[in-house]
Amino acid sequence: MAYGTTHSQAADTIPVHITDQSALCAREEDDFRVDMLVDAGARVEQGAPVLRSRRHNELMLVAPVAGEVASVDLGPGKRLSQVVFFHASGNGRRTYDVAALRSGANPAEIRAALLSSGLWPLLRSRPFGRFPLPGEVPAAIVVMAADTRPGASPPALALAGREEDFERGMAAISTLTSGPLLLCRDAGSMRAGPAVNFGKAVVVDVAPAHPRGLPGLQIARRCPATVEHPVWDIHAEDVAGIGAFLSTGLVPETKLVSMTGDALRESMLVRCQPGADLRALCFDIVKPGPHRLLSGSEIDGVESRWLTTLARQLAAVKMPGIAPRPHWFATALRRSGRPLPIIPTAALDQAFASMLPAAPLVRALAANDAETAVRLGALSLVEEDLALADSMTGATPRLASMLRAMLDRIEVEGVA
Amino acid sequence: MKRGIWDRETVALLLLAAILPLAVTWLLATGMSGAFRLLFVLVAAGAWHLVFMVARAQPPSFAGAITALAIAVLAPTDIGPFAMLLGISFGVIAGELAFGGWGRNVVNPATVAIAFLGFGFAAAPWPVLPVQLGWSVAAVAAIGTAVGVMSVRVIAGAIALLLLGWWQGLLTIPAFTAAAVVLVLLVCDPVTAAATGLGRWLYGLLYGALVLMFAAGWHGAAPVQAAISAALLVTLAAPLLDEIALRIWLARSKRVG
Repeated sequence: MAYGTTHSQAADTIPVHITDQSALCAREEDDFRVDMLVDAGARVEQGAPVLRSRRHNELMLVAPVAGEVASVDLGPGKRLSQVVFFHASGNGRRTYDVAALRSGANPAEIRAALLSSGLWPLLRSRPFGRFPLPGEVPAAIVVMAADTRPGASPPALALAGREEDFERGMAAISTLTSGPLLLCRDAGSMRAGPAVNFGKAVVVDVAPAHPRGLPGLQIARRCPATVEHPVWDIHAEDVAGIGAFLSTGLVPETKLVSMTGDALRESMLVRCQPGADLRALCFDIVKPGPHRLLSGSEIDGVESRWLTTLARQLAAVKMPGIAPRPHWFATALRRSGRPLPIIPTAALDQAFASMLPAAPLVRALAANDAETAVRLGALSLVEEDLALADSMTGATPRLASMLRAMLDRIEVEGVA
Repeated sequence: MKRGIWDRETVALLLLAAILPLAVTWLLATGMSGAFRLLFVLVAAGAWHLVFMVARAQPPSFAGAITALAIAVLAPTDIGPFAMLLGISFGVIAGELAFGGWGRNVVNPATVAIAFLGFGFAAAPWPVLPVQLGWSVAAVAAIGTAVGVMSVRVIAGAIALLLLGWWQGLLTIPAFTAAAVVLVLLVCDPVTAAATGLGRWLYGLLYGALVLMFAAGWHGAAPVQAAISAALLVTLAAPLLDEIALRIWLARSKRVG
C-alpha cells in the first residue's frame, strides 16, 4: 500500500498542543467498573490517580493534565463512561517515588509502579485485546517501533532524542516476561537512527507497507498468542515514556499524534496529552463543512470525541452526502444473504500482507468457525488487524465485528 | 472507515473484463453461429438467475455471463436445444445457485454443465477450438493476474507443466489450446480455486499433471474433453490442497510458551 502522507517535520519543531479539555473514557462493552478517587470540581495534578478499578484494586488511572475535574460520568454499576478534565496550568505534576526502581530491576516493583501510575493500560494483551490483568505473565512482549497505517506518526520521530529513556524502558519491560522480547522497527527510518542498545530484545525489521506494521500480524506470524500464553504489545513511544517515568517519577505528559484526512487543509504532527479533545486539536486546520473525527487512522479509527488510549492518530474524514434511498427491491436483495461472500483475490491476500492464510481465515470468521479461526491465528488479532481487509473488500457485516463477537464467545466459553 | 471496492461484483466484472479478449477472438472465429449460441446460453442461464432472485432473494451476478461464455465455447456441439437447456440448467442450479449464488459455490457451474453435457451425450462431438483462441489466453492471463482476480501461482504452475508436455511432444497444439482455454475460463475461477499460497501452486501443477496424464494415457479423448475432465477433478481436489498447505504452514509457524 503506497498511500499516505509523509511527515517531514523535524522532531524539535513539532508543536505541543495541550487541549483545554481532555478525558478518560471507556466504552460500555469494556465493562470497566471503577471507584472514583476524586469528585467533580476537584483540582488535580497531572499524573495524579483519579480512579481505581473495582476488579483490580491495584490498577489506577491518572489525570492526563493538570487542572480540574470537570465532570464524572459513570454508567450503571459504576462503569466508567467518561471523566472530563479542564486544563489549568500551575497545578503541577505528581512525582512518584521511583528511587527504589532506579537501582535494581525488581519485576514485582516495576509492575506495581506501572499499575499505580496509570501506565499499565498502555500495554495490550492478546488474545482479546484488552489491557493485561495485573497478575498476568506474558509469553512474549512485542514493542512496535513501526506504524504503517496511512499517515501514521513515525515512531522514529517520537523516539528522537529519547534513546536513553527507551533503553531504560526496554530493560524494565523485559523483566515482565521470561519469554522473548521482540522489537519491530521500521526498516527505513529506524535503522538509520542512532545506535541503541536493546538488551535482550530480538530486532525485527518491518517493511514499510501496510499492514505489516500492525502488531497483530507480527504477533500472529512470530509468536502466536493463546489463551494460556498471552502476548503483550506496546508502542515504542510508551516504552520510552515508561523509561522516563522510571528515572524521573513523572508520568509522560504528551504523545506524538498525527492528524490526517481529507477534511483537513494539511496533515501535521502535534504533541498532545493522552485523551485530548480531537475537535480542539484539529480546529485550526479543518476545512469547513460536515466531517467526522476518528481516533485512529481512516482505516481503523473509531468515531470519538477524545483520543483513545492506544491511538496516535486523528483522522478527519468528510461526511458523504446523503445518498438517495435505494429501491426497496435492491435493499431486499442486499440484505438477504449475509454475510456477503468474499472472493479470494490478490487484494484480500495483500490485506493480510500474505502473512496469514487470508481466504481460509476470512471464511472461518464469516462461518463463525472458532476452531479453524483459532488454528489460523485469530487469537493474536484484534479489530484493527482486520480493518484493512474490511476496508478493501467492503465485507458486510464487518470482519472486525465478526472477530470481536468470536473473541467474546471464546472468552466466555473457552476455545472450542 | 472507508468502504472498499473489492466486493463480489467488482471481482466478477474484472474477471469478465479479463476474459473479453478470449470472447472477442472466439466470436470472430465462429461468426453468427457462435453469437447465437452465446445468446442462447446467456438467456437460459440468466433466466435461472432471475428465478432464484425472485424466489430466494439471491442477487444475480455478472459471473453468470462468464459461466455462459465458458459453456458456449466449451460445451459439445450439435446437441439439440432441449438437451442444451437441460445441461445448462443442471450446471447453473446444482453447481451455483443452490449453494446461494456465486461466491458460495464449491464447483464451477460451467464445469458441471459442460461435464454433464459431454458425458451425458457421449455421441455429441466436442468442439475443436481455433488456434488463435490459445493465443488470446495470454492476454486473458495478463489482465487477470495484473488486476489480481486470477492467481499467478495457478497459471504459472499449470502453464509450466503444459509447456513441458508440449516440449516433450506429449501435447499437440489443439490439446495445448484446449488446456489453456479451460485453464483461464474454469480453473482460474477465484471462488473454486485453491486459496492459499502453496495450495495455488499445487492446484495449478495438479491441473497440468492431469492434462498431461490424460494426453498420455486416455486414447480417443477429444482435447476439450480431457481438459474439462482435468478441470472437474482438480476443482474437487482444491479443498484438499488447501488443507495440505495449511497443515504445512501451521507446522512451520513458530509457537511460544
